[in-house]
Amino acid sequence: MELDWELRELQTLEGHKDRVWSVAWNPATGVAGIPPMFASCSGDKTVRVWEQTPSSSSWDCKAVLDETHTRTVRSCAWSPSGKLLATASFDATTGIWENVGDDFECVSTLEGHENEVKSVSWNASGSLLATCGRDKSVWIWEVLPGKEFECASVLQGHTQDVKMVMWHPTMDILFSCSYDNSVKVWAEDGDDDWHCVQTLNEANNGHSSTVWALSFNGSGDKMVTCSDDLTMKIWGTDLKKMMSEDGYAPWSHLCTLSGYHDRTVFSVHWSRKGLIVTGAADDAIRLFVESKDGSVDEPSYKMILRKEKAHDMDVNSVQWGPGETRLLASASDDGTIKIWELQPVA
Amino acid sequence: MDPRPDPADAVADLFDSSLNLEDAHFKEGYAEGYDYGLEAGREEARQVGLKVGFETGEELGFYRGCVDVWSSAIRVDPERFSSRVQKSVKTMELLLERYPVLDPENESVQEIMGDLRLKFKAICASLGVKLEYKGYPKSADDKNMEF
Repeated sequence: MELDWELRELQTLEGHKDRVWSVAWNPATGVAGIPPMFASCSGDKTVRVWEQTPSSSSWDCKAVLDETHTRTVRSCAWSPSGKLLATASFDATTGIWENVGDDFECVSTLEGHENEVKSVSWNASGSLLATCGRDKSVWIWEVLPGKEFECASVLQGHTQDVKMVMWHPTMDILFSCSYDNSVKVWAEDGDDDWHCVQTLNEANNGHSSTVWALSFNGSGDKMVTCSDDLTMKIWGTDLKKMMSEDGYAPWSHLCTLSGYHDRTVFSVHWSRKGLIVTGAADDAIRLFVESKDGSVDEPSYKMILRKEKAHDMDVNSVQWGPGETRLLASASDDGTIKIWELQPVA
Repeated sequence: MDPRPDPADAVADLFDSSLNLEDAHFKEGYAEGYDYGLEAGREEARQVGLKVGFETGEELGFYRGCVDVWSSAIRVDPERFSSRVQKSVKTMELLLERYPVLDPENESVQEIMGDLRLKFKAICASLGVKLEYKGYPKSADDKNMEF
């Protein structure tokens, strides 16, 4: 990574009639000759599915999922198999969509949250779904045969709006971050009961303002969180211990990346190749990588790229493409999605 | 005239009663206010107690009713509900039995009510029914926009 890199804009995708909140790549695409596909969701109450047309390499809207959610769709997530798409909406429901031929059909609606659902996430095996929202609760749903969903647990612990839920990439451990400035870690006790096993807050070097998003590195032993306090924080755990019978190995603060952002950091995503990308309220996209020349004790990270004016307004979501691609999608308040490719500078 | 040697003393005496008057009125007023406050406070506390007690009882009764119906349904058709729902109904039943109705200062009341509400939500979501206790305190009644 000693090269210089640039983000080349491949295409600007227009179609949403309001701000675009989030993008999610279909994990079953972009590999083995299957053209890459992703979904975007918006304040216009719709979800759009985009796919790259192999012949022209252009990105086209394949489907518009509308007339189901009655308010903003805040977040969406594909099941690991890529067959189902879950959509979290301010209308208090979570929609489950199935890809049928060229179309998408709403096959289930999860109701339970009192009001706005803010985020949705599938676990690694696709057997569990988590949702969270403004009612301060985190819900865990089990996926039953026949696309039925059963509520496995309703978790209360956050004292404010829960912004995002995210499952660990390999283990059934759930993470949630909130307007109460904390990240909570939830695990099952073996008897179908879920509990908060750890809270990362200001008392253990956590954030001093809203935590907006989190993401894991490829191996799942590190996590990055981003916040309204203008910083990103890197957390680490002992994965071997975590996977052994000893049970839970706590996460601890490794380092804080400050001084890079002067507005809220809304989105963060860690690529399998170790690149951390952020989207922020200053309309810019930034890339970070672990720097090897730091001290021996703790990892340090450096910024390798800053794309000013990536969008005309706030960058709400940044997501790396699936597989080995160097594709990046970003979504913004300006109503557009942009597809970028990371390239070494010639 | 009193054979007072110092005229200053005479002046003090002259105003003594009026100075004491202020103090006396203060004490009198305080006692009156205190008694009034005590009575009003007792009455208010009684009203709050009645209200909260009524609400708590009503909410517990609501859950009790739901649990009884669900339990009966499970007895009639044990296959109808999933094992997770059946277990949750049992858990709610135990929580209702454990709730110290006659011991409002018991610290476990909040926790048990919290657990009851969460289990109730989970069961309703799994059964796909929209039941709501109408007195349930909404966590967000305000309509301000936030993301």
